[in-house]
Amino acid sequence: MTTDWISIPLVALPLVSSIAILAFVAYASPAARDRMGPSVRMATLIFSLLMLVLTTAMFLGSNFIEGTKDWASLSFGSFNYDFRYVWIESLGIHWSVGMDALSFPMVWLTTFLLPVTIVATWNEKNAAIYFPLVLMMGGALIGVFVALDLFMFYVFWELTLIPMFFLILKWGGYDRKYASQKFFIYTFAASVIMLLGLVTVYFLQPENLSYAGAWTGRTFDIPTLTAHAQSANAGGAWFLGESLQKILFVMLMIGFLVKLPSVPFHTWLPDAHVQAPTGGSMLLAGVMLKMGAYGMFRLPLAFFPHAAEHFQFWLMAFGMVSLVWGAVVCLGQTNLKKMVAYSSVSHMGVILIGIATMQPLGWAAALFMMFAHGIISPMLFAVCGAFKHHYHSMEIGSMRGMAKHSPWLATSMMFGWMASLGLPLLAGFVAELMMFLALWHFLSAEGWSVLWMVGPALVLALTAAYYLWSMQRTIFEGGDETQPPESLNGQPVPDIGDAEKVAMLILAAFTILFGIMPWIALDMMNGWTVAFFETLLVPILGGA
Amino acid sequence: MAGSGSTEAVQSTALEYAPYILLLPMLAFPVILLLGKLFNGNKMWKDGLKEGGLIALPVMGASLLISLWLITDFVGGNGHGDTTGWTWFTSGLWISGQTTVTEISLGFGIYVDHVTVMLLFVASFLCLLINTFAIGYMNTDPINDNRNHRFYAEFVLFCSGMLGMVLADSFLWLFIFWELMGLCSYLLIGFYYERPSAAYAAKKAFLTTRVGDVFLMVGLAMLWTLFHPYAGAGQGALDYSVVFYEGNIEKVAASSAGTLGWALGLMFIGAVGKSAQFPLHVWLPDAMEGPTPVSALIHAATMVNAGLYLVARMFPFFGAEALHGELADLAFIIAAVGGTTAVMAAAIAFVQHDLKKVLAYSTMSQLAYIFTGLGAALYLANTLHWHEYLADGTKNPDYYVNHGIVVVAFGAALFHLFNHAMAKGMLFMASGAVIHEVHHAHHHLHPHDDHHDEDPEELLVLANYLADTGQSVFGFFNSIDLDQSGDVDTYEFQKALKEADIADLPPWEMQRLMAALDMDGNGRIDVPELELTLGRIHLASLADDDDHHDHHDEFDAQSMENMGGLASKMPLTATAMLVGSLSIMGFPLIGGFWSKEGIIANTWRVALDDPRFFYPAMCVLLGAAMTGFYMSRMWLKTFAGSPKTDVAAHVHPTNTWIKTPLFILTFMSLGAIVLASMGFTHWAPDEYYKPFFDGKKSLFEGFVYEMDHAFANPDLFFFVLTYLAILLGAIVGPGLALSLYGGKLDEGEETMPWFGPVIALNQMVKGRYHWDNTSFAQSGFATALENRLYIDHYYDMAMLKIVAAFSFKAAVADSKVIDGTVKTIERTSQQLSTKVRSLTTGSARDYILMAALGTLVLFGLIWGVVA
Repeated sequence: MTTDWISIPLVALPLVSSIAILAFVAYASPAARDRMGPSVRMATLIFSLLMLVLTTAMFLGSNFIEGTKDWASLSFGSFNYDFRYVWIESLGIHWSVGMDALSFPMVWLTTFLLPVTIVATWNEKNAAIYFPLVLMMGGALIGVFVALDLFMFYVFWELTLIPMFFLILKWGGYDRKYASQKFFIYTFAASVIMLLGLVTVYFLQPENLSYAGAWTGRTFDIPTLTAHAQSANAGGAWFLGESLQKILFVMLMIGFLVKLPSVPFHTWLPDAHVQAPTGGSMLLAGVMLKMGAYGMFRLPLAFFPHAAEHFQFWLMAFGMVSLVWGAVVCLGQTNLKKMVAYSSVSHMGVILIGIATMQPLGWAAALFMMFAHGIISPMLFAVCGAFKHHYHSMEIGSMRGMAKHSPWLATSMMFGWMASLGLPLLAGFVAELMMFLALWHFLSAEGWSVLWMVGPALVLALTAAYYLWSMQRTIFEGGDETQPPESLNGQPVPDIGDAEKVAMLILAAFTILFGIMPWIALDMMNGWTVAFFETLLVPILGGA
Repeated sequence: MAGSGSTEAVQSTALEYAPYILLLPMLAFPVILLLGKLFNGNKMWKDGLKEGGLIALPVMGASLLISLWLITDFVGGNGHGDTTGWTWFTSGLWISGQTTVTEISLGFGIYVDHVTVMLLFVASFLCLLINTFAIGYMNTDPINDNRNHRFYAEFVLFCSGMLGMVLADSFLWLFIFWELMGLCSYLLIGFYYERPSAAYAAKKAFLTTRVGDVFLMVGLAMLWTLFHPYAGAGQGALDYSVVFYEGNIEKVAASSAGTLGWALGLMFIGAVGKSAQFPLHVWLPDAMEGPTPVSALIHAATMVNAGLYLVARMFPFFGAEALHGELADLAFIIAAVGGTTAVMAAAIAFVQHDLKKVLAYSTMSQLAYIFTGLGAALYLANTLHWHEYLADGTKNPDYYVNHGIVVVAFGAALFHLFNHAMAKGMLFMASGAVIHEVHHAHHHLHPHDDHHDEDPEELLVLANYLADTGQSVFGFFNSIDLDQSGDVDTYEFQKALKEADIADLPPWEMQRLMAALDMDGNGRIDVPELELTLGRIHLASLADDDDHHDHHDEFDAQSMENMGGLASKMPLTATAMLVGSLSIMGFPLIGGFWSKEGIIANTWRVALDDPRFFYPAMCVLLGAAMTGFYMSRMWLKTFAGSPKTDVAAHVHPTNTWIKTPLFILTFMSLGAIVLASMGFTHWAPDEYYKPFFDGKKSLFEGFVYEMDHAFANPDLFFFVLTYLAILLGAIVGPGLALSLYGGKLDEGEETMPWFGPVIALNQMVKGRYHWDNTSFAQSGFATALENRLYIDHYYDMAMLKIVAAFSFKAAVADSKVIDGTVKTIERTSQQLSTKVRSLTTGSARDYILMAALGTLVLFGLIWGVVA
C-alpha cells in the first residue's frame, strides 16, 4: 500500500476529465461544439487507452506498478492496489479502493470496452458531449467495482445512472424519453430498497469495528463488515438474527436482481436497449448489467450466507425463469435489437443458476459468464447499431441477402450470434459448459429433481433457434430479388466503416482468445471462488 | 497416471506430432480467408492458387502424411497412445461434509487407439481426395467465381474439426470439435446463401443436430458427475483415460449403473442427430443444397460418421465386466433405431429422381446398417463373458470363442463404416462429376437459359409491348431518346417505361434494368444494345410458350430424368459409380460385401439369443434387397439406356482433378478383399485382440480364411443366411431394377468392355420380365414416400404451430402482462400523486381546515395513549 494506482488514473481521470470537458463544451457555441468534436473524441480515446494500458499492466505485472501481482491466489478479504482516504470521519465514511479477482476482471473489461465503444461509435453525432459521457460512464462503473466502502459503492452505483440516462435521452431512438425515464426510475427505485437494507446493516452492526465513524461508532468498510459477518454467522448463528437477515438479504437482492435483470423485473431493459444509442447499449449490456451480479457476490452472499442458503430454491427459480422466459420471448421478437436485449436476460439467468448451485464451479461459471457476456454482447449491440445505421430499420426480415450487400456486417453478425449461442472455442461456451456441469452435479448431489435440467437443455435449442432464424432472414436469402429496403430511398447499401471493422475485429479476437484459452481469466476467478468457499462459506455452512 | 488404460500406453514419436494433424488445417483457415479477401479476383490467386484450393491441398496432404505415420505406430492392436494432456481450466467442487474444495480440471490431449486409427485414416484420406475433387469441381463453375476462398477456408476448418474429434482424448473435446463441424456444415450447406432453399437447409441442419447435441451435452454432464470422484489430480473426468479405466467403471457401476445407462442413452441421441438417424434424419436430404464436394465430404464420408464414432467410443462401457447385462436394452435401442432407419431411408430412396437425393437416403440407410451392427456388437459385448478372466478372477472357459465373436461383430460394423465412407465418397464425387458435366452440356446447348431468369420482368413486358404494338426497336428508341443524343440514359428510359404504362420504377430499380441492357458498361443504352437484348428476351419467351414450360422452370441438372446412356459418355465415372454401387449393395467380393454380411450375420446371431433383435435383424435383411434395388435403379437410370434429353447426349468426360480421386477410390473399393484378408473385418474394439497383423497369418491365409467364412460357413444357419443375403442384395433387388430401368445403349455408342455384360443383362431382363409399375407409382404409399412420409411436414408444423405460436404469445404476454403490471403501478402512483396534489388547493381556508382536523386527530391519539 504505497501508491494509489486506482483512484486517480482509473476513477478520477475519466470522471474529472469528462466533467471538465463537458463544462468547457457547455459554454461553447453550437458551431464551436461541432469543431471541438474530433479533438474531444481523440482525447477520450487516449484517456481510455491509457486506462486500458494500466489495467493490462496490472494483470501482466510491471515493475512500474509494484511488480507482478498475484490475482489467482489472493487470500480472501485482501485486495491488490488497495488504498484508503478518510472521507467523512464522523460517519466512518472512507474513500477506500482495491481490487480482488472478483472485481479486477470487471475493471479490466470496463477499460477494454471503453476504447472499443468509442471506436465502434466513432461517427456519433454531438461528439463533444457524447464521448465525454461515455468516458464518465466508464469512470462511474469502475468506481462501483473498486469501491470497498458501502457509502462509496452506493454513490457510484447511482452515479452510473446519470451518464446512461443522458446517453439514452439525447442520442436515443424515437421513444427515448419514455425509455430513459423508465430506466432511471425503475432501477433507482430498486436501489433505494437496497439502500434501506445497507443503512440497516450500518445501524445494526456492533459499535467500534475498524474504521468506525467518530460519532456513530459504525463502519461502512466492506472488508470489515464481511469479516464481522463471517464471525457472527459462525457456529450456526445468524448475523443480525434469522428473520432480519432474511429480510435484508431480500432487500439487497431486489436492487441487484432489477439491475441484472431477472424476470419479472426485466422490462426496463428491452425498452432501454431499443432506444439507447449503440455506445450506450454496448456499455449497458457489457458492464452495467454485471453490476447486479457483482453486487450479489460482494454483499448479500458474503454477509448473509445463511439467508442465501435459505433462499437457494428461489435463486434457482429466478435463474431458470429468466433463462427460459428470456429465450422464449427472444423467439417471438421481430425487432433485432429487442431480440438481443432479451437474449441478455436469458444469459443473465445463467449467472443466477450458477450462484444458486452454491458450488465453486457454478460461481466460477457465473463469473466467467459475466466476463464472456461482457465481450460478446457489446459485439451484438454493435452489429445491431450498424444494422440500424445502414438499413434504417431494426425489423428482422426487412433486409435479406446481407451477405451480398454488407459482407463485413454479415460476418460480424454471424460471429456474434454464434458466440452468443455458445459455440465451442468461443468464450460463451466455457461458461455454459461449467454451468451445465455444476448444475447436474448439484442436482444429483442434493437430490433435486432432474426436471431442473429441462430448462437449460431447452434453452440450448431455443437459443440456436432464434439466432439461426434471424440469420436466415437477414444474412441469407435474397436471391435475385434482393433489394434494399424502401427506407434507403435508392441509396446504395454501404458496408460498415473502417472504425466499426476495427471494433468488431477486436471484440471477435478476444471472444476467440478467451474461448480457446479461458484460463487467462478463469484461473483468478477460480482462485477467488475457492478462497470464498474455503474461508467463508464452508466454515459457516459446512455442517449442513 | 491413476487412470491409465488396461494395458500399457504406447510410446510413439508420431504422437508428439499428432496435434499438427488438426492444427495445420485449422491454421490454414484464417490464411485462406484472409488471402481470399485481399486477392479476390487476382489472376495469380484465381488460376495459380485456385482461389485457395492449392493452399488447402498441401495442408491436407501433410495432415494425411502425419496421420499415416501415427497409424503405422498403432495399427494392429498394439495398445493405445495418450498424451499427458494440457489443462484447459480448473475449478472446484464443494463436496458436502468436506472442509476444503476439491479441485477439478478439464484438459485436452491426443488419444489414439484402434477406433481412432480407422476414423483417422478415413477422415484424412478422404479430405485430401475431396480437396482434389473440389479443385476440379468448384473452380470450373462460374457461379463460384470469387467466392471459392470461402469454400476452401470453411473446408479446411471442417477437416480440422473432424480430425480433432477423432484425435481428442476426452468426450469433452470430442463434443467441442463435433460442434465445430456443425458450424462448418451450416456454413457450407448455406454456401449459396442467396438461395432461400440453401438458407433453409442450413438452418434445418444446424437446428436438427442441435436438438441431438442438447441431449449429448446433458449426457456428458451426467457422465462427468459420475466419474469426477475417480479422476486423479490433473485429470478431466471426461478423459478417456478416466472413463474407460475398468477400475473406475467398476466403482461407478456399483453405485449408479442405471444413471450411467441414461447418460450413454442421452449421448446416443446426439449421435442420432449427427448421423441423421430416425427421428432426427430430416436434415440430411436437404443438406444436398451445398455444393457437391460438401455433400461428398460432410454428408457421406466424414461428419455423419461422427455419430458412429461416438457410439463406437462407448464400447468400453458395454464391454466392461462390471456392467455385464446392464446395457443390453440400450444396445437394442441402438440396433432398433438403425434397423428402422435402414428400411425407411431405403424406401424413400425408391422414389427419388434427384441423383444426389438417392445418395443422401442411401447414406442414411447405410449409416443405419452400421448402427445396427454396432448395436449387435455392443449387445454381444455386454451379454457375453468375453474377457480372459471372469469378475471373480477365475479363468474364463469361453474366452476364445466369445472374444472372437465380439471382435468380429465390432469389426464388421467398423469395417462397414470404412467401406461405406470410401464408396459413398466416391459415389458423391462421381455424381458430382455427372451433374457438373450435364450442367456444362446444358450450358453449352442452351447458353441463354441461365441468363433467362436474370432478365428483368419489365424488359420482357417491354419486348412483348413492342411486338404487340408493332413498333420497331429503332422507332421506339428514337421516340424515347428525348435529347436525340443517340443513346438513352436512365432518366429517359424511366420516363419512357412510365409513359408506355409498363412500369413506374424508382431509381434503384432502374439501375437493375440498365445493367441488364448496358452491354459495354458506359451507363447508357444505344440501339444495338436495346435491339439485341429485347430480341433475345422476346425469342426466349416465345420458345418458352412453345415448350409449354413454366417461365421459372429451370433445367434440373441433378434429375436422373434428364440423364440416361451416360456410360458411353463418361466411362470412368460410370465405372466408379458401378463399383461404388456394388460396394454399397454388398455384391459378393466387392467392398461393402465383406462388412455387410458380417453385420447381417451378427444381428441374426443376437436375434437367436434375444427375440427383440428379430426386428432389426429382419430390417437389415429386407434392407439388403432394397439397397440392391435403389442403387441399381440409380445406376441404370443414369448410365444405361438412351439419353432422355438432348443434353444428356452431349455430355463430355470430365477433368483430371475430378477423375483422379474417382480412380483411386475405385481401387479402394475393389481392393477391400485385401484389407479383409489383412484382418480388417476383425477390427478390434480393445487391445487384447491381435488380428492378423502380428504375422500369425499370411495375407493368403487371411484370404482363404475370409473366403471360407463368407462362402462356406460351417454353421448351417449362417451358411443359409449368407446365401439368403446374397440372393436378396445381389439378385432380387438389382433384378427388379434391371427389369424396370435402363436398357441398351443407343446404336453406335461405344463404352468400356466391362459394361458389356451389365448392359446385355439389363437388356435381357428388361425385355423378358418387364412389368408395369405405374399402379405402385400412383399409389398413396408412393406419394407418402415422395413426401418423405410427411415427417418433415409434421416437424415444420410443430415448429410453426407450437413453438413459434407460443413464443409470439410469450412476447405479447411479456409486454402486456409483465410490463403491463409495471405500467399499472406507474399509472396508479401517478394518479395517486395527482390526487395528493389536488389537496394543495392554495386556498388558506382549506389549509386551516386541514390543520384543524390534523390537530384534532393528534389530540385524540394522545388522549387515547395517556388515558
